[in-house]
Amino acid sequence: MLSYILRRVVATLPVMAIVALFVFSLLYIAPGDPAVVIAGDQASPEDVERIRQSLGLDRPFLIQFGSWVWRILHGDLGTSIFTNLPVSTMIGQRLGPTLSLMVITLLLTIVVAVPLGVVAAWKAGSLIDRAIMGFAVFGFSLPVFVVGYVLAYVFALELEWLPVQGYTPLTDGFWPWLQNLILPAIALGCVYIALVARITRAAMLEVLQQDYIRTAKAKGMGQSGILFIHALKNAAVPIVTVIGLGIALLIGGAVVTESVFAIPGLGRLTIDAILRRDYPVIQGIVLLFSFVYVLVNLMIDVIYTLVDPRIRY
Amino acid sequence: MDRRTVLKGLAGASGLALTGGLSAPAIAQGAAARTLRFVPQANLANFDPIWGTQYVVRNAAALVWDTLYGVDSSLVPQRQMVESEEVTDDGMTWTFKLRSGLKFHDGTPVLSKDVVASLNRWAARDPMGLMLKAIQQELTAVDDRTFKWVLKQPFPKMLYALGKNNSPVAFIMPERIAQTDPFKQITDYVGSGPMKFATGEWVPGAKAVFEKFADYVPRQEKVSWLAGGKQILVDRIEWIVMPDPATAAAALQNGEIDWWENPIADLVPVLKKNKNISVDIGDPLGNIGSFRMNFLYPPFNDVRARRAVLMALSQEDYMRALVGDDETLWKPLPSYFTPGTPLYTETGGEILKGKRDIDAAKKLLAESGYSGQPVTCLVAQDQPITKAFGDVTADLLKKLGMNVDFVATDWGTVGSRRAQKTPPGQGGWNMFHTWHAGADCINPAPYTAIRANGDKAWFGWPTSANTEKEVTAWFDAKNLDEEKAAVSRLNKAAFEDVVYAPTGFFLSYTAWRKNVSGITKGPLPFFWGVSKTA
Repeated sequence: MLSYILRRVVATLPVMAIVALFVFSLLYIAPGDPAVVIAGDQASPEDVERIRQSLGLDRPFLIQFGSWVWRILHGDLGTSIFTNLPVSTMIGQRLGPTLSLMVITLLLTIVVAVPLGVVAAWKAGSLIDRAIMGFAVFGFSLPVFVVGYVLAYVFALELEWLPVQGYTPLTDGFWPWLQNLILPAIALGCVYIALVARITRAAMLEVLQQDYIRTAKAKGMGQSGILFIHALKNAAVPIVTVIGLGIALLIGGAVVTESVFAIPGLGRLTIDAILRRDYPVIQGIVLLFSFVYVLVNLMIDVIYTLVDPRIRY
Repeated sequence: MDRRTVLKGLAGASGLALTGGLSAPAIAQGAAARTLRFVPQANLANFDPIWGTQYVVRNAAALVWDTLYGVDSSLVPQRQMVESEEVTDDGMTWTFKLRSGLKFHDGTPVLSKDVVASLNRWAARDPMGLMLKAIQQELTAVDDRTFKWVLKQPFPKMLYALGKNNSPVAFIMPERIAQTDPFKQITDYVGSGPMKFATGEWVPGAKAVFEKFADYVPRQEKVSWLAGGKQILVDRIEWIVMPDPATAAAALQNGEIDWWENPIADLVPVLKKNKNISVDIGDPLGNIGSFRMNFLYPPFNDVRARRAVLMALSQEDYMRALVGDDETLWKPLPSYFTPGTPLYTETGGEILKGKRDIDAAKKLLAESGYSGQPVTCLVAQDQPITKAFGDVTADLLKKLGMNVDFVATDWGTVGSRRAQKTPPGQGGWNMFHTWHAGADCINPAPYTAIRANGDKAWFGWPTSANTEKEVTAWFDAKNLDEEKAAVSRLNKAAFEDVVYAPTGFFLSYTAWRKNVSGITKGPLPFFWGVSKTA
């Protein structure tokens, strides 16, 4: 197993290299100029050119790419064109809120979506099943920002139960941390819950047709035992796969959610960097997201062996 | 490796990441009333007011760095860090003396050498500073509190240059910081103003914190804009960046923020209904909407084509597209200058008055030789102002029978493409939309957009010898009457050559909780005199 994990980690290197080249090239040919943004609306073309030179943006593509790769190989993601702060520092500042949001959303999804899917499969064709699947379609169809605004209006403005926006670090207390994340996590989780609930239902339906389930029933085993011990465990592989792949969905959704709830996370940093053409920051974030995605895929493969002993590498 | 080991490891890693190195200081309940939470107009992405000239940087910098002079609400420069000044009869030697007791945030005194270094850095980036440098003989520190600026010719606008509120402002920094190349960003934010910048709490794009500087010595005079006694009545000011206006509106209603610099017009009715919120015009100098036509290529290289567009242009259409039905937020502007300011004039602005004559405009356009070639019109869709203006312009050009190549893009792309001097079909352009802060259009000094010196002019590169002649006349003017006369002629010349097309004058609101008091109208948010109750 360990050698498999090592092989997979090494295999991420060419993937990251391709991502790096792709991202750098894309940004190089994309329209827009950070020097123009920095110089401001009243700046003369000469001022813009001086700033461009001072940032090294006037150098040829290969030289810029080479020096960026060289820095990356030395563990340096570079410095933001705008803030003059190291990209790693900026990512570090924003990692906590995004990670918090993703963890809470993930937990919420597992706690809500899996039981919903199980119940829907158990009561397949019933009113409960249709209600759950109806909710799933609804959740999947609603844009994150619409859910976010509605939640903020009801629970923050009208009921005054939760704050509208912001983020409090966990070090300032569990409840302050959690109360800022509840509404964003629900907003972000809607699509994810819908997706996982549907996959859980489909996987469970298939498993519930198996002979061993009939045998368990014949032996007089309780309904919950059949569903959650025998069936769910055997239906876990596709569920785990979707939960893992859904991380990408979360990363994309976090961009919108963080803007709606003013959470200072990586999603907002990404948008800001793109709008300002802050190339080093964009490159750093995309590399990070790519790495996370590769890592999540690796974790899914490892988790397969834990939920299904028949899978070995 | 078994399931339990993996799950424990994951839980541990998550916990570590969530708690490690991410903390921000908690505010005690009692301290909340001493903390003002403010939502600025934009993200404070950098903090060097000379290197980056965005308004948001200027606004934050005004808290941290003081100036030698500051303009008051009458747009007159008043002494700020300076105690006295003398100018020789020939107007060429200025001697300034600093107030005693001035300190930087690191406790060191403000000395003449700091001022000289700061002025040198500022002058390399500011249009008025560049003019001063061009006629400078020497700028030297005479002693710790006295410095001298010797010129080769008189510069009557000296005090205005040192006290103006337009970017870049002549902020005074410690010499070691001011010696940074003006085209490179500073990394040390030790200031001379009433608030200290809490560098450790700065999260660009999310939050910036300013703390009261106990050793700041305010002037005794009543405060007025950038002049007078800048008394800070709170301990801490937090700038919280909120990209989504709806979120900012909800946060203000919920009491999570105290002051929102510029709520969008669509949300103002909701805020006005809330009994805990005050809403008023923020900046009485407002903004001037505009689109610029490229003087280098047909059809707008012919003045008749530019005039034809102006003849057909309805400023009301532009303004209503932007601010809706709120009549208090806009007014027609047959002028290039900010209404309500001393130099405002409508001389030459008749072309924008009265009923719009599309037929006459079409005729003039035909006389210019326009024969249906595409007109590349750049419109940034991510800026509500330019989006609204662009839609109206497209309609206007179509009414004139022009073939519109409507380029819907983002502001960043407009920013770089407008600098291209290549033909419109090869990456260039024919027109783009923007707007100018009214504070920048009160006189020709900070007004880059009115300059018409061809290649050296702002994007569109207008050429108008008469306009340039009157800009020079304004700089040479000895008194207000002479200034008014020069600007009147300038306005006429600019309309004759259509340096750019003004689309109207518009204002915007600011909104704050009613437990906050002392907010004044001005071209930037002034925090001195602002207090808050629990």
